[in-house]
Amino acid sequence: MTRAAVSAETADGPTAGAAGLAESARAVLIGQVVVGVLFLGVWEVAGRQFGHDWTSLPSLIAVRLATWLIGDLWLHALTTATEMLVGLALGGSAGVVVGLVLGRSPVIATVLRPIIVALYSVPLITMAPLLILWFGLDLEPKIVLVTIVVFFLVFFNTFAGVAAIDGDLIASFQLLGGNRREEFQKVVAPASMVWILSGLKIALPYALAAATTGELLAARRGLGSLLAQAAHQFDMTGVYAALLVLMAMGILVSEVANRLERRLLRWRRAAA
Amino acid sequence: MPPRDAVMVADAPARDPRAAGVPKIELVGASKTFYVRGQEVTALQPVDLTVGDQEFVALVGPSGCGKSTTLNLVAGLLRPSRGEVLYDGVPVTALNRRVGYITQKDTLLPWRTAAANIGVALELQSRAVPRAEAQERVAQLIDLVGLRGFENHYPAELSGGMRKRVALARTLIYEPECLLMDEPFGALDAQLKLLMQDQLQQLVHQRRMTVLFVTHDLGEAIALADRVIVFSARPGRIRAVRDVALPRPRDVFKMRFTEGFGRLHEELWDELKDEVAKGVDV
Amino acid sequence: MTAVPADRPTDQDIDPRPRLTRLVLTTTGLVVTRLLIIGVVLLAWELASGTLVPKFWVSSPSAIFARLVQWIADGSLWRHLEATLLAMGVGYVIGCLIGVATGLALGFMPFVQRILMPYLAGLYALPKIALAPLFIILFGIDIESKIALVAITVFFMLLYNTLDGVRDVDGDLVEALELMGATRREIGLKLLIPATLPWIFTGMRISVRYALTAAILGEVIGANRGIGYLIEASAGQYNTTGVYAGVLVLVICCVTLTELLTRAETSTRRGGP
Repeated sequence: MTRAAVSAETADGPTAGAAGLAESARAVLIGQVVVGVLFLGVWEVAGRQFGHDWTSLPSLIAVRLATWLIGDLWLHALTTATEMLVGLALGGSAGVVVGLVLGRSPVIATVLRPIIVALYSVPLITMAPLLILWFGLDLEPKIVLVTIVVFFLVFFNTFAGVAAIDGDLIASFQLLGGNRREEFQKVVAPASMVWILSGLKIALPYALAAATTGELLAARRGLGSLLAQAAHQFDMTGVYAALLVLMAMGILVSEVANRLERRLLRWRRAAA
Repeated sequence: MPPRDAVMVADAPARDPRAAGVPKIELVGASKTFYVRGQEVTALQPVDLTVGDQEFVALVGPSGCGKSTTLNLVAGLLRPSRGEVLYDGVPVTALNRRVGYITQKDTLLPWRTAAANIGVALELQSRAVPRAEAQERVAQLIDLVGLRGFENHYPAELSGGMRKRVALARTLIYEPECLLMDEPFGALDAQLKLLMQDQLQQLVHQRRMTVLFVTHDLGEAIALADRVIVFSARPGRIRAVRDVALPRPRDVFKMRFTEGFGRLHEELWDELKDEVAKGVDV
Repeated sequence: MTAVPADRPTDQDIDPRPRLTRLVLTTTGLVVTRLLIIGVVLLAWELASGTLVPKFWVSSPSAIFARLVQWIADGSLWRHLEATLLAMGVGYVIGCLIGVATGLALGFMPFVQRILMPYLAGLYALPKIALAPLFIILFGIDIESKIALVAITVFFMLLYNTLDGVRDVDGDLVEALELMGATRREIGLKLLIPATLPWIFTGMRISVRYALTAAILGEVIGANRGIGYLIEASAGQYNTTGVYAGVLVLVICCVTLTELLTRAETSTRRGGP
């Protein structure tokens, strides 16, 4: 549709080209601001007019966010981020290692494949209650939860990636004189990199979801617990404010994931 | 020595007189049968074939006639189902790292630039050289295959012909004593093909390499080789062998118009055309 | 290579691997090996439970099985399963309808799409599970809040799939139709919608699993019925056997669902072009 849209916008002549695009970009920006302001305005006015027990008010939410920013919001964000990062590091590295090893042993891979696929189809986040039972209210259950979720996503992708490596690539590399270690370093590892990275990219938002889930269920700190506390007190302003913070976190995470991919896979982009 | 195979090829060549010592490559009644879901598929019927030291032998034949299988046997990527494959008089039982193998499909590492692909062999323990020397040799080879200006392009950014040349340079850089080439110039346009043939010929002469060269282009085979072997359609076996008694150094551009070339071409084409027709049926 | 009898192919032509490996890799061998692995794991679990590890933490396969039988016998399994599947089904349908409708509408209006996309992307980046507490407050602890959570999860998947489909339509085709004198409505009906359908179906297939996950997660966060509630309630009573039995039900649901979807996919692909 992008092409169709462009062709419609520049229909009055080829000279409209770049200038037309810049103009339409400005129009879009103006439109976005208008929509945003209108939305908040209607919310604010309607809330004041008809009561805001359920909807809170943008102004109240803004004040709450400001209070949190001065207060201990950073502590909560840091807790969630720690859970995510530690879980990503543990689960990611374990997933890569196990994926590479299993992917390189075709017999074990063939035997285990259906079991792995079955496990993969289960939403592991739902293990949260069990983990909280095992590890208590502190950081550990969330880290374990993030680790498990990330492990499986990264493992599965790595495993599929190693299995997909072109056999001819390996054979020709062996003929060049590469030994097993070099073959791993220079062919298997980089070839799996695409898959490992796409596994990590998929895993990033899941890591946030897993950490949030763990915190919603039982936690003293973290963005999820901030949300849960507000919800328990029917503090709607707090609920919306916490959702906004989580949204910001989510946007940050997906932005990091996209950058990571673009940065490390230059050679692949060239193909597209 | 293993028992000689009962099925000998009728018109198998006698031992090449030039290979006075031990031949570089020797196939003795070597055949290859694959099992695909319990079904036997014969890729190569028992073949006797000898390539002397510093000899340039070309294999011609219709597609699927076992030419690539022959190269894979010599490279040690496959074991013969029966018979033997010898290299320097020793049976090939593992990967044969003394040969440089340029496969039909270019197996470049897609995450490395052209220059990094060409230099990869020199990074390996078995062929390691100091970094400065490696860089210098990479630069030389880039010039040789005419890829100056494309050093930092990834394979995905290169044309099929350029990738082929990177693959060639990647193999030439470690100066193997023997080259196995599987239709290396198939993807190139006519002009570039001639240029590359010329370069290859000079290089082989300079470095005293032995070459086993697979092609479906009869003209290319005659232009380059000391000996041309025509394979029959699947299952492959040797149909005809001709020495190319044209003088060296040859001019690949002009030699096509000489009388000797024409006569040989006609003679070999007579052998080949029935097989090509058979191959089409398959 | 040593002497090889001429009348027989060498071993490695069939398979260079040892005999046991080849035995394992036959069709029956694979099934037997897999069952063996699962059997050994279960046996080890059973034996370790109460001896190496306290039964309180890991329960035991026999206890879990007994619990499952008990749930089936007293009918509680069906009651909970029904709640989960209902939330999943209703939410799925609502999410699909709104998602496809919004996707097509935004597809037809590129300008509006460009204005709204950042807002939608922001909402999409929010982990959906975080909406569970809000929905419980707004829609109650009953099934409605789970339906809402499933619906919004499915909505986003369908929205993005539909938009991708519209975006994938060849601009040249649009131009060709424009040149023929087609109106915007005709382009939509004759080109954009049919061209987008495969993308919509893909989105519908993928989001079934997400719908189940959303329903169960919603129940874990707060509910009075459903498989997720079963798991969370058991955990709340420090009843590990119940947690495992609930997770087992979930595993069976997921595997069945995946299997059904794979079958559906292969059969539609066979029917397709």
